Amino acid sequence: MSAGSTPEAATPGIQFAPEDDVAIRYMDRTREYYEALGFSPYRWAHFTDAPFTPLRIPLAKARVALITTAAPFQPEAGDQGPRAPYNAAAKFYQVYSAPVDSKPDLRISHVGYDRANTVPEDLDAYVPLARLQEAAAAGRIGGVGPRFHGAPTNRSHRVTVETDAPELLRRCREDGADVAVLVPS
Amino acid sequence: MGLAARHLEASGIPTVIMGCAKDIVEHCGVPRFVWSDFPLGNSAGRPFDVESQTRTLELALRLLETAAAPRTTVASPLRWTADAAWKHKYLDVGKLSPEDIAERRKEFEVVKAVAKAKREGT
Repeated sequence: MSAGSTPEAATPGIQFAPEDDVAIRYMDRTREYYEALGFSPYRWAHFTDAPFTPLRIPLAKARVALITTAAPFQPEAGDQGPRAPYNAAAKFYQVYSAPVDSKPDLRISHVGYDRANTVPEDLDAYVPLARLQEAAAAGRIGGVGPRFHGAPTNRSHRVTVETDAPELLRRCREDGADVAVLVPS
Repeated sequence: MGLAARHLEASGIPTVIMGCAKDIVEHCGVPRFVWSDFPLGNSAGRPFDVESQTRTLELALRLLETAAAPRTTVASPLRWTADAAWKHKYLDVGKLSPEDIAERRKEFEVVKAVAKAKREGT
C-alpha cells in the first residue's frame, strides 16, 4: 500500500474484517483496570521457549488426564452460582482430584471469567469431561483417567511451579496418563 | 495452567491447553494451545452446544497428534457472535465513573483479604 492511501482505496472489492475483531488483549486490559483502581500490576508468567514431548502412541490407545481450574462446590463458601460476583471464599489452594464416573459439581465463581458476556450455566463449556468420555466411547482416545484433577489458580508462580505442578504430575503418573488436556476457566 | 502444562510436558507427558485468553497463554509459552475466541469461561466450547464442544475437543486431540513443535496454537474457527461488540465489554475501565472505581477498589480489597484468609487457612 502506498503512503496515504486507505485500505478501501487500495483493495477494491475486498472486504476485510473490522480492525477491532482481534483477540482481546487481556494482559493490557487487566493492567489498565487494576491501575485505574490503584493496584500494582500483576506479572504474568513468561517464557520465550517451551518444552515438547511428541505423542508416541496412537491417541486411540492413550489414556487422557483432564486438568481443570474449576472448583468443587463448597456449601459453606457463599454464592457460587452462575451469576455470583467474584467469590474468593470459593477458591482452593491445594491440588484436588475426584472420580470421573459421576458428573461433578464444579463452579468458576472463584475466577475472573468474563461476567459481562457469559453466564457459566453449562459445565461442559468449561470442563470437557462429558465430551472426553464420548471420545473414549467412540474409540477416538483410549480412555479417560480414573480421576480428573483440579489446579489451584494461585497468584504465586512459585507455589504453582514448586508445589502444584509437581503434584499434578505425580497424580497423572499415578493414573497412568499418557497425555493431558488442561482447561483453564 | 501454562506452568503446569510446561511441567508435565518437560516430564514426558504431551499436553494441550484449551483456552480463551490467547495473549496470556502464548505469553507463558506452552507446548500446544487451542484458542477459542470466546468470552473467558468457555474454554471447552459454547454453552449448551454439544457440537461446538465436540469440535473444540477434536481440535485439541488433533493438535496432540499433529503439532510439529512447541508453542503451536490452533485458532478455533467458531465465532461467539457475528460481530466483535462483545470484546469491548470485558473490564472496560473507560466506562467507570470515579465512584465506580472507588467502589470496585473497596470490593477488591475485600476479595484480596478473603483470598488471603482462605489461603492461610489451607
